[in-house]
Amino acid sequence: MKKIEILRINSLNRAPLIVEGYLFEGSNPDAPTVAVVGAMEGKTILPLYTASKLVDFLKNSMSDSQNILGNILVIPSINHYALNINERFWPLDKTNLNTMFPGYAEGETTQRIAKRLFDAISGYTHGIILENREDLSTCFPYVRLFQSGYEDIKNAKKFGYKIVHHKELRPTDTVSLQYNWQLWGTKAYSVMCPNETQIDMNSSNEVLEGIISFLNKNKIIKYKVLNGYESTVVTKEDIEIVKTPKSGIFIPTKQIGSHVIKDETIGKIIHAIEGEVIHRILAPSNGVIACHYKNGLIFENAVAFRIIKNG
Amino acid sequence: MQITEIFSSQLPVGETLSIKRSRFEPTQKKENLKRISIVSGTHGDELEGQYVIYLLASWLNKNQSLINGIIDLYPAVNALGIDSITRGFPLYEVDLNRAFPGGKEEYLPGQVVYALAQDVKGSDIAIDIHSSNIFLREIPQIRINKEFSEFTLPHAKELNCDFIWIHDAVTVLEATFSHTLNQMGTRTLVVEMGVGMRLTKEYGVQLLNGILNLMKKEGIILSDEVFEAREPFLSEVGEVFYINAPTSGLFVPELNHCAVISKNEKIGTIVNPLDGAILETIYAPSGGILFTLREYPIVYEGSLLARIFGNNDEKN
Repeated sequence: MKKIEILRINSLNRAPLIVEGYLFEGSNPDAPTVAVVGAMEGKTILPLYTASKLVDFLKNSMSDSQNILGNILVIPSINHYALNINERFWPLDKTNLNTMFPGYAEGETTQRIAKRLFDAISGYTHGIILENREDLSTCFPYVRLFQSGYEDIKNAKKFGYKIVHHKELRPTDTVSLQYNWQLWGTKAYSVMCPNETQIDMNSSNEVLEGIISFLNKNKIIKYKVLNGYESTVVTKEDIEIVKTPKSGIFIPTKQIGSHVIKDETIGKIIHAIEGEVIHRILAPSNGVIACHYKNGLIFENAVAFRIIKNG
Repeated sequence: MQITEIFSSQLPVGETLSIKRSRFEPTQKKENLKRISIVSGTHGDELEGQYVIYLLASWLNKNQSLINGIIDLYPAVNALGIDSITRGFPLYEVDLNRAFPGGKEEYLPGQVVYALAQDVKGSDIAIDIHSSNIFLREIPQIRINKEFSEFTLPHAKELNCDFIWIHDAVTVLEATFSHTLNQMGTRTLVVEMGVGMRLTKEYGVQLLNGILNLMKKEGIILSDEVFEAREPFLSEVGEVFYINAPTSGLFVPELNHCAVISKNEKIGTIVNPLDGAILETIYAPSGGILFTLREYPIVYEGSLLARIFGNNDEKN
């Protein structure tokens, strides 16, 4: 394993930002390769943890380094500056690194960071981006693939998560890492992690096992692993959005991953001052809860649940 | 003048979010009136537009008899952001000017921009007033997408701004207010001027005169008064030079914003207060007008320090 410097940015008052990658060189030059990008935002604890545990796994759990067949580059954190002070974006100008790709060497700070990162991860067969959802919800782990014309759904299923979300491309997605990585020839996948402030061992293990499964099934490593789910490909039409007509204190009464039946109570809204239940959220159809809102206070007409419809 | 709530949402704890529009129109009913919409406060840290809209509303109140069209004012699109010094939509951290066209079924920021777009839709002209941000000071300028410039450039020239910057179409900018409204058939112009979190009174008055001039030309107001419309310089006749910080530090400018400068003139230094060292001295790559100058002094490598509009034979 080699530790390599991906980029360095100096600061007037903070220690330099030094982004490092862990390169595990494969024993078979013909094997496919992969780069894994961890926390690009602050507040992305599970992407950080998963990437660091992947480094630990490759370093300490692969009994024979010959079983690493293809090159693997893991970059656990890009945005240490944000992570260390619980900021979400680049702390000075609040720009989102994941809207700066493919980057620009002569541009603004985050464009330069994106460019240096992009240069370091270009040319790999596969690219895995560990992300959180950008809205205020948490979810079970899944793969998100943009409908860009470059996506590889068959390979996305090899993570063995419950779903692959095949998502419509918005204009703002054209500056994301996933889209640009695909445009430049790498099969890129966003692994969407539960949005947690503390590590939940069950969900973090599920994310990590999915990545190990992906590496194994693509013959990047040789490692016996239990199969995950046979992923279902989900598009907009399969998702039922459940909004709350009332604002207040939000209490989900069904957990993520729960099977629900039509008209079953899945959450309630409490009047924030007077304490009474002012709305019960009912499942609009049979299905599985994939996401729910994660804050205690919820806005009027906010999305409370996303349900993958059954039947 | 009539004030209308174009969007409201009950917030979780004892408060209602309300986005308001004021409408000025002739006291006598008339047919086929032209309509102009003036929008500001999409970014919560940009306040210059609030002042311009105040000046305009004040003028219209005093000159009600001259109104010959519909004038809609939306001073505070991101009302929660403005009152909390937050650029994006609070909590969601979403840039509202990357969330258009939005939708009724979207999350709250998407609902807000959808309501705005639907309300402005049908206007003949819209003006979206932005300050720069807290980092940069800008001269009054119009930003125009080349895709729509055939229709918007003539209006831009009436707005009494100093600079018209025509830029190429960029996919990510399709999520902006101006792109969305231009596609809906409203000729929409973006004004950038001043600096975030502050008011620049002279710029406010300058743009007010431009808006009145444009409204007079369009027959939206009937006035004998002559409103100033200075001749702007167009980006197409020169070149914009970007000067980004070569290193991190404290940027100390040597020149005033808007200065006419010569090639190789010193723009400023990047220094380290801890040891008194000058880390870099910044020189102009071209002569021209220093139309953008950094206001917030802390810089990282890459931070924009200045922009010069100069001769295109000295392209950087």
